[in-house]
Amino acid sequence: MHFKELEFTSQPPIDWVAPYAAKAAHSLETLSFPTKKDEDWRFTPLKTLTKHSFQSVNGEAKSVTEEHVQKYRLPESRESTLVLVNGAIREDLSSFSLDSSAITVKKLQEMTPSELEEAGFQSLVPVENDYFSVLHTATLTSGYYLHVHKGAKVEAPIHVLNIQTGGPTPYVSSFRLLIHVEQEAEATLIEEHVSLDDSVYLTIPVMETFVQKKGRLNHLRIQRENKSCFHISRPITSLEGTAEYHSYTIALGAHLFRNEPQIIQTGEEVDFTLDGLILIDGDQISDTHSVMDHRFSHGNSHQLHKVVVHGNAHSVFNGKIFVRQDAQIIDSFQENRNLLLSRDGIVYTKPQLEIFADDVQCSHGATIGDLDPDEVFYLQSRGMTEQKAKEVLTYAFALETIENIEVESVHTFLVDEVKAYTSRNVASRF
Amino acid sequence: MSEVMSDTDKLHEFIGEEYKYGFTTDVEYDDFPKGLNEDIIRQLSAIKNEPEWMLEFRLKAFRAWSEMEEPEWFNASYVKPVFDQIQYYSAPKSKPSLESLDELDPAIKETYDRLGIPLDEQERLAGVAVDAVFDSVSVFTSFKEKLADAGVIFCSISEAIQKYPELVKQYMGSVIPARDNFYSALNSAVFSDGSFTYVPKNTISPMELSTYFRINNMDSGQFERTLIIAEENSFVSYLEGCTAPMFDTNQLHAAVVELVALDGAEIKYSTIQNWYSGDENGVGGIYNFVTKRGLAKGNGSKISWTQLETGSAVTLKYPSVILQGDNSVGEFYSVAVTSKRQQADTGTKMIHLGKNTKSTIISKGISAGESQNSYRGLVKIGKNAENARNYSQCDSMLIGQTCGAHTFPYIESANPTGKIEHEATTSRVGEEQIFYLQQRGMSEQDAISMIVNGFVKEVLKELPMEFAIEANKLLDIKLEGSVG
Repeated sequence: MHFKELEFTSQPPIDWVAPYAAKAAHSLETLSFPTKKDEDWRFTPLKTLTKHSFQSVNGEAKSVTEEHVQKYRLPESRESTLVLVNGAIREDLSSFSLDSSAITVKKLQEMTPSELEEAGFQSLVPVENDYFSVLHTATLTSGYYLHVHKGAKVEAPIHVLNIQTGGPTPYVSSFRLLIHVEQEAEATLIEEHVSLDDSVYLTIPVMETFVQKKGRLNHLRIQRENKSCFHISRPITSLEGTAEYHSYTIALGAHLFRNEPQIIQTGEEVDFTLDGLILIDGDQISDTHSVMDHRFSHGNSHQLHKVVVHGNAHSVFNGKIFVRQDAQIIDSFQENRNLLLSRDGIVYTKPQLEIFADDVQCSHGATIGDLDPDEVFYLQSRGMTEQKAKEVLTYAFALETIENIEVESVHTFLVDEVKAYTSRNVASRF
Repeated sequence: MSEVMSDTDKLHEFIGEEYKYGFTTDVEYDDFPKGLNEDIIRQLSAIKNEPEWMLEFRLKAFRAWSEMEEPEWFNASYVKPVFDQIQYYSAPKSKPSLESLDELDPAIKETYDRLGIPLDEQERLAGVAVDAVFDSVSVFTSFKEKLADAGVIFCSISEAIQKYPELVKQYMGSVIPARDNFYSALNSAVFSDGSFTYVPKNTISPMELSTYFRINNMDSGQFERTLIIAEENSFVSYLEGCTAPMFDTNQLHAAVVELVALDGAEIKYSTIQNWYSGDENGVGGIYNFVTKRGLAKGNGSKISWTQLETGSAVTLKYPSVILQGDNSVGEFYSVAVTSKRQQADTGTKMIHLGKNTKSTIISKGISAGESQNSYRGLVKIGKNAENARNYSQCDSMLIGQTCGAHTFPYIESANPTGKIEHEATTSRVGEEQIFYLQQRGMSEQDAISMIVNGFVKEVLKELPMEFAIEANKLLDIKLEGSVG
């Protein structure tokens, strides 16, 4: 099967998702593949994606065992880890024993159509117009429904670990997380993407998240996959009045990482964060197209998106802030800082404010540049080598986004990842 | 404060429901049939007695235009112009060649008087040479001799084509090629007239050069062409200001302005644009689709754009600078005001190609009524632009709850030694601010006027003195009654 430019061999969809997948496959026939002529894809080449021929997978890759998973386990999530391999649920590797009166976890494939509908399945993700969202639905096999019940405060972070492993044939893997945080409930979700080898694959994870009144969700998204894969994700969040949502995305891997987070305010007095840290080198391409959509009065939003570029890497950022008419008293701040550290790297950024209400405080700032030579000199004058000074400054730049991460083990390994990145790349400049 | 107050006092004489400059003048016109084809272009070129190469330039542009598609990416919605309903040339019959103002057609003279352009006064008082474009053909050029003494050429582009063909041939289309975009191609095919300025080496223009544009004659689109060349180590400041009569049908204005600054030269280009913006219901008003670009070609050259955009129903305009020469500087200072149902999509492009190039962007947008105001900008640092530096600031102010403010800044860097900083804010005239000033005895309107003046001050101070005063008045008139 060809989905326009993308060559693709599909397997018959699994029962539960068949009606959705059929509809999506139908939409794909008329949808055009994104090109540089589309404003949203102007700076992101998909040539490296279309040269592969992909197969869809249903398999659970049985070869993956505890031995592989062990090193990714988080002590904080001993009783709340959900493991997927190539987008398929692996119950044998998962360990979930949290109090079911506080949180319930269901497999999407075990829910009836009416249950799915009631839980908001397919209600946030675009079902017709967005090529990759539709491709996701067409290739979807499984997913989880996380339901945090009214008033529950779930202490243990829920670790959703998506492991990729493949063979010589490039494959497509899609999975869905449907998340419901009820009134006055609180939870922390760690969504992590890793790969066990260098196989080429296209992963299209989609998250549909609903946070109800006075609910609160902390969402950590960690992407440290191999540098051959393509990762195109759509985390979409709907916030009722007085809800809180704080999202931190840390991305180090993938050949092409395209992230399109979207936060929609559906009631008054919400508070949300959408931070990101991207560290790329080699021929990596990282692209974040975010939307913060204020549709009701009284909203606070904050976005800090930091990028470090080395090698031939290529970074794109487009951060849209919408303040709709009648959405008064909005305080929204967006900051995009890019550290461009190599001759052959390139940074495109387009912060974008679209304001239709007058009683608002909205601002954005964007910078692109190298490390400040004065700062490097200052550290050198205190006895550091130039290399060490640059390492320290790059590390400090990256650290600002990690600081807010409260899960200790995650914080620790991210610090290590950042250190590894800086020493690897700063050293390469000498 | 007293300065603001006195401006506000002066303002009252301007206030009126109707567009003050909405009147037409009856002069006989040399009319062309509506629509556009190669014959029309040949005829236009023949009337203007143009050399063969000029006709070729036009025909080439026309062929390019015929194949191009009208762009639709703007953040504005409007009824597209019907290109075969436009009359591509109109000129007052028998171009007068005048020694003094007395010989001017009294009707035209009266138009100027009502517009408040005291041509004869300016000769003596302001030291400003005015090349007044009445519809499409220059009818009067003053101060020519004084400029000629300094070696500065300031004339209509038609005259330049006749007298200085080599200069025109060398530079026209060198900054904005005909194919650059849909409207520049159209302009290149049918431009009727415009201004030409040439400042020779080591020369500082002895006066500010100024062109007043005026759209007249129903359905005559205006296609001006301006070309300014500043030779090594020269300086020129150029002012452009516009008013237009009230009409019910949309009028297209697709001008092209090209600036070239050679080694050490500086061009300062200032604009006040106050064309008819349509009525409360968005009926009528000018379409202002202008292509403006400067080439800072030489080492250490500088190009500075300052604009106050208050008029037109739809404005699509991005005065840009290509920083080609090493150490060259580009500046863009803009205030764009929209009210009623106006739509403006305006900004700048700063393309850094040379080493140690610097650019500054200060843009202030004010939206009121049911208008939409967008800033769209591009800052690009090329691979070889070592130590390039850009600072951009784009602030928007909203007045009322039915307008919109948008920013679309494109920022690209391919050189790690480059430094780009961009910031943007959106805010409104705060109730507390107004209340505070009212407490001090100001009326609400004066308070708003003062706050707005403070908001745009950074830009207006870049305007030459006589323009700055006019600019303040215009702002006050535009925003009169927006808050309540």
